[in-house]
Amino acid sequence: MLTSVFAKTVRDLRRGLLWWSLGLAGLVTMLVAVYPTVRDNPDLTKLVEQYPEALKSFLSFGGGVDYTSGAGYLGSELFSFMIPLLFLVAAIGAGSRAIAGEEEKGTLDLLLANPVSRRRVVLEKLGALVLELLALGFVLWIGLVIGGHAATMKVSAAHLGAGAAAAVLLGLAFGTIALLVGAASGKRGLAAGLTAALAVAAYVVNSLAPLVSGLRPLQELSPVYHYVVSDPLRRGLELEHCAVLAGIALVAAVLAVAAFDRRDISS
Amino acid sequence: MAAAIRAERLTKFYGDARGILELNLEVGDGEVFGFLGPNGAGKTTTIRLLLDLIRPSSGRAEVLGLDTRRDSVAIRRRTGYLPGDLRLYERLTGRELLEYFGHLRGLDGLGDAPTLADRLDVEIDRPVQDLSRGNRQKIGLLQAFMHRPDLLILDEPTSGLDPLIQQAFHGLVRETSADGRTVFLSSHNLAEVQHVADRVGLVKEGKLVLVETVETLRARALTRVEATFDAMPPAGAFAGVPGVDELERRGNRVILSLQGSADPLVKALSEFTVLALDSHEADLEDVFLGLYRESGPRAD
Repeated sequence: MLTSVFAKTVRDLRRGLLWWSLGLAGLVTMLVAVYPTVRDNPDLTKLVEQYPEALKSFLSFGGGVDYTSGAGYLGSELFSFMIPLLFLVAAIGAGSRAIAGEEEKGTLDLLLANPVSRRRVVLEKLGALVLELLALGFVLWIGLVIGGHAATMKVSAAHLGAGAAAAVLLGLAFGTIALLVGAASGKRGLAAGLTAALAVAAYVVNSLAPLVSGLRPLQELSPVYHYVVSDPLRRGLELEHCAVLAGIALVAAVLAVAAFDRRDISS
Repeated sequence: MAAAIRAERLTKFYGDARGILELNLEVGDGEVFGFLGPNGAGKTTTIRLLLDLIRPSSGRAEVLGLDTRRDSVAIRRRTGYLPGDLRLYERLTGRELLEYFGHLRGLDGLGDAPTLADRLDVEIDRPVQDLSRGNRQKIGLLQAFMHRPDLLILDEPTSGLDPLIQQAFHGLVRETSADGRTVFLSSHNLAEVQHVADRVGLVKEGKLVLVETVETLRARALTRVEATFDAMPPAGAFAGVPGVDELERRGNRVILSLQGSADPLVKALSEFTVLALDSHEADLEDVFLGLYRESGPRAD
C-alpha cells in the first residue's frame, strides 16, 4: 500500500532488491561451493603466501590473508572486495535516486505539493535506503550461515552477522553521502559519480596505506578502514568503528535535510 | 473579501527573463482568477513560489492567510496543484497515484477522484506510462481536485484536453467557485479562461501589467458588423449613430464597430436596402491587448 513516501520508495526499490538478492545469494553459493577445494589445496595456500604485499593488502578483510580458514577465505574472496562493491553500488544507486532521481524525472514538484515537509521526504527516503541495505545484509547473512554450515567453514553465525553488518554500515555511509549530494544539487549523475569516486578513493587509501608511508595518516579517514579494521569474521564488531560509519551517515543525513530545505526545486 | 492569495512585491530574480518582478496581487476567496501571459512570462515561477517549491528573491506572499515560507505544509494541505509540466509516476496506475497522494493528504480513500474520473472520462486502472497526454492531464486534474481543496492552483490546466473535456473542466471550475473555493489558473490564452474566470491578470516579461474583471473586458468589447448593400449609403451615413464607428468600406460593404445596444444601428440600417448582415463579437483578446497597450508596461 502506498501509504507514505517511505512505502512508495520501498515499493520502487522492490524489483531492484530482488535482483540484488539473487546476485548476492548466487555469489555466496558459488564461493562457498569452491571452498572445500581451496581448503584442501596446499599449493594454492602457498601461492597466496607468495603474493606481493600490495595484493595481499587489497585482499585482506582485517587480519591476514589466509585461504585455509573459513574466515580468511570469506574475508579475501567476499568481504575484501565483492561485498563492499555490491553494497556500495546498491547504496549509491538508491541514495542518488532518492531525491535527485525524482527531481530529474520531474515528479518531485507534484510530490512536494502534498502536505509533506521536505525534511520528511528526505528522512523517509533515507529510511527506505536503510531498509534496503538491511534486507541485503540479511540475505547475505542467511546465505553465509547456510553455506558456511554446509561447507563446514567454522565461522560462527554471530561473526558472519558482524561481517554483514559491517557491509550494511559501509553501504549506509556512502548511500547517505550520495543522498546528500543529490539533495543538495538535484543532479543524480553528480551524486552517483562523486560518491563512487569517494568510495574508490577510500578503498585505495585504506589498501595502500600499509605500504605507502605517505598515506598512513589518511587511513583512519577512510570509511573502508573502519569497515575492515575490527576483523568482523574473526573478532566481531567494535563499537567505535561502527560509530564512525554510522556517524558519517548521520552527519550526511543532517546536511542533506538542511541543504534540501534551503534550495529551489528545479522544474 | 478575504484573500486566498496575496503577493506583496513578490520577486524571483533569475538574471534572465524567466523570473517575476515585484508582483502585487490579491485573489479573493471564492474567486476564479485567470493568470495570463505568453510562455516564459513568469506565470509558472509565480505559481511555484506560492507552493514554496522555489523561494522568493525578495517580497513575500500569503496563501489562505498563511505565509508561503513558514506555513507551507499547512498551505499545501488545503491546496490542489496541477503543474504546468506534469510528470506522473510512470509505473503506477492512476488509482495507485491517487491512493498515494490521498494518504499523504490524510484522506481515507480516493476522495472525489472516482466521481471526477467518470466526469472527465478517464481510465484510472491503467499504468500511467500507457496513457495519452490528455489522459495524463486528466489524472493530474483528479489529484488536484480529489481532496476538495480550498484553493486550486492550476498551471495551464486545459493543455492537451480535447474541447469536450475542456467543457467538463470549465463546469468543474464553476462548481468549485460556487462552493466558495478559489481557483487560480494560468493560461497563455484569454479565450480559454474568459468563460470561467471572474478576473484576469496579464503578466508580461515578469511584470503584472493589468488586472481586469472579465465583465469590464466584455463591456468594452466591440461587436464587428458587416453590412452588404444594394446601393452604397453616402459617406457619413452612420456618423451620428450612438455607439457606432465606421471602420472600412469595401465594394458594396461597410464594416462597422458597435458598442452597447444594437438598436440605433438597426434603425439606421433600415433606411437602406441591406442584402446581407453579418456580426460577430470581437475577440476579448484584442480588447485585452488594446487595454494593455493603453496602460503600457509599468515603469519600475
